[in-house]
Amino acid sequence: MTPMLFGPPQRRLFGLFHPPERERDIAVLVCAPFGQEMVRTHRLFRVLSDRLARAGVAVLRFDCHGTGDSSGDDTDGDLEGWRRDVCTAHEELHRLTAPRRIVWLGSRLGATLAVLAARSGRSDPSRVILWDPIVDGAGYLDTMREKHVSALEASYWVPDRAWRRRLTADKDAFTDELLGFAVSPTLRNQLRALTPQSLQLTASHETIVLADPEDEAANRWAKMQAERQTPVRLSPFQHSLVWTSDPFPNSAMVPAEALQRLVAEING
Amino acid sequence: MDDYNETPVQFGPDGSLIGIITTPGDGPMVPVGCILMNMGAIHRIGPRRTNVKLARQMAACGISSIRMDLAGLGDSRPAGETADFRTQAVLDVQAAMNLVGTMLGVHRFVLIGLCSGAHNGLSIAVADPRLIGLLMFDGPNFPGRRARWERSLRRALADPKPGAFFGRVVGVIRRTLLPRQQQAPGDQNIFDSTGPRDSADYFCRSMNQLAERGVATMMFFTGSVQTKDRRRDLLGPFGKEPFARRLDYRFVPEIDHGLISQESQQAFMKLTCDWVLRVIHGDGSPASPALSAAGQSARGPRAASSLATKLEHAGS
Repeated sequence: MTPMLFGPPQRRLFGLFHPPERERDIAVLVCAPFGQEMVRTHRLFRVLSDRLARAGVAVLRFDCHGTGDSSGDDTDGDLEGWRRDVCTAHEELHRLTAPRRIVWLGSRLGATLAVLAARSGRSDPSRVILWDPIVDGAGYLDTMREKHVSALEASYWVPDRAWRRRLTADKDAFTDELLGFAVSPTLRNQLRALTPQSLQLTASHETIVLADPEDEAANRWAKMQAERQTPVRLSPFQHSLVWTSDPFPNSAMVPAEALQRLVAEING
Repeated sequence: MDDYNETPVQFGPDGSLIGIITTPGDGPMVPVGCILMNMGAIHRIGPRRTNVKLARQMAACGISSIRMDLAGLGDSRPAGETADFRTQAVLDVQAAMNLVGTMLGVHRFVLIGLCSGAHNGLSIAVADPRLIGLLMFDGPNFPGRRARWERSLRRALADPKPGAFFGRVVGVIRRTLLPRQQQAPGDQNIFDSTGPRDSADYFCRSMNQLAERGVATMMFFTGSVQTKDRRRDLLGPFGKEPFARRLDYRFVPEIDHGLISQESQQAFMKLTCDWVLRVIHGDGSPASPALSAAGQSARGPRAASSLATKLEHAGS
C-alpha cells in the first residue's frame, strides 16, 4: 500500500494505492461516503482493498477535497467539486495501472458522486457498483440531522432537551453540521436539489445497484433507470453495517457479509 | 499560499506504519513537534477529522506535527512482533519521533492523546524523554463516591421519561450496594482498560514521574464525563499528589467527548493549540483560574457559541 497526494496543486487529494500482487486486467476506484459514514467505512474499505490486491486487483482509495486527509476545509466540499475529484482519481488510477479496466465502487454519497462523474463523460469506467446510493438528497439531509441530534444526546452526560425541540421546529436546524462535519450552504442546496429524477445513469457501462429491499427510494430509482433501457441490475443487499455509528470495537467494523458480497460483485 | 505543507509517510518496521507530517507553509518552524494518533478505532484523522484540522491550525502557528495510525489501526499494518497493544503503541510513536527527527530535525515533542490515546500517551511519555508535554483528553479519571452520586443524580433528574428518575436511582443503588457481576471471558472487550498500566497506582506513579522530569501535563475533561466539577473531582484521591500542583486541569462541559459540534471542535482546538504553544515557550504550568474555570455553567453546542471567544479572552 502506498500513500500519495495527487491532483492539481490547489486541490491536492490524498490517496492510498494498493498495488496488485498478481496479474489481472482489473482495477477498482473506491468512492467513499461523506462525513461520519466515511469514517465508519474506512476499515471496511481498507480490508476490502487488501483482499482485492492479493487477488490481483489494483485499488485506489482516496479522500475528496475537504474530507479525510485531503486539502481543504469541511466547508470547501460540494458535489460539483467532488464529482471532478472522482474523475481526477480515475485518471490517477489509469496512470498507475493502464491498460487495466477500471471498476468504480461507490457507497452512499460516494455512489451518488460516481453516477454524477460517470454522467460527465470525462471518465470511462468499465462498470459501476453502487452500494446504498443516496438518490434523495433532501431525505438524506433530514436523516443526517436527526442522527446528529441523536449523537449529541448520546454523547453528553446530561443532554439538552432543546436540541430535539429545535430539530422538530426548524427544518434547517443542524443542516450546517452533519454529525460533526461542517456543510456549506452550497452543498446543502445541492443536496436539496438531488432527486431521483435528477440523477441519471448512462448507457456507456454496466451499473449494479446494491440496495436494501427496504430502501424504497433507491429501489424505485434503480427500476426507473432500467425502464430507460440503461444497463442496470438491481440486487438486494442487507448487511449489518450501521452507516453513521462510531467505529466502536463492539460494533461490526468489517461485516463479513458486506466484504464477501463486494468482492464477489467486483470479480463479476 | 497555504498555511501548511503535508507529506504522507510510511515508516516503522518494513514501512508498516502510515502517517501524515504537517509543517508550516511559510515562516519559522518551532523546534518542538506534536504527535496526534488514533482515538479508539478511528483512523488517524481523529474524531470528526479533528486531528487534520488541529494539525493545520498548529502549522499556522509554526508547529509541525505527525498524525499517525498505530499498528493494526487505520491504514497501518498489524505489528509482526508479539508485544501487547500498549507496548506496541510506545514502539510505534518512538518510530514516528525518530522519523520526524530525521526529516525535520525536531527532537522534542508534545503528545495529544484523545480517550484511549490518553492512556497510550501516558505510557509513551513515561518511556521516552523526548516527550516534554502530554495532553490527555477524557483520559484516566477517578471520581470519588460523592462525584459519582452527584453526576448520576443530575442525569436521573434530567431524564424526561416518566419513571426514569426512579429507575435510574434504583440502578445507582444496585450498582453501589450489590457485588459486581463477573464478566464472562468471551464478553471482554479487547480495548477494555484492565491491564496493569491502567491501574490507579500506575497512573499516580507515572504522573509523579513526569512531574519530576518537568513534563508539562494537561488533563482535559468534557461534558460527556460529568456535568459539574467542584474541586478537580476527576482526580479523586490524587488531588494532593505532587504532580497535581503542576497539572493543568480543565473541565469544559460545553465540549463533548466525540467533538460532534463545530463549536466543540473549535473550542477544543483553540484550547489545545494555546496550551501547546505555552509548553513550547516553557510555560506549561496551570493556566489562570479564569481559564481553568471556563464553561463551568453553560452547556451544549448552542451554549458554546461563544466558547472559543470566551476561552480566548480568559487566556489573554
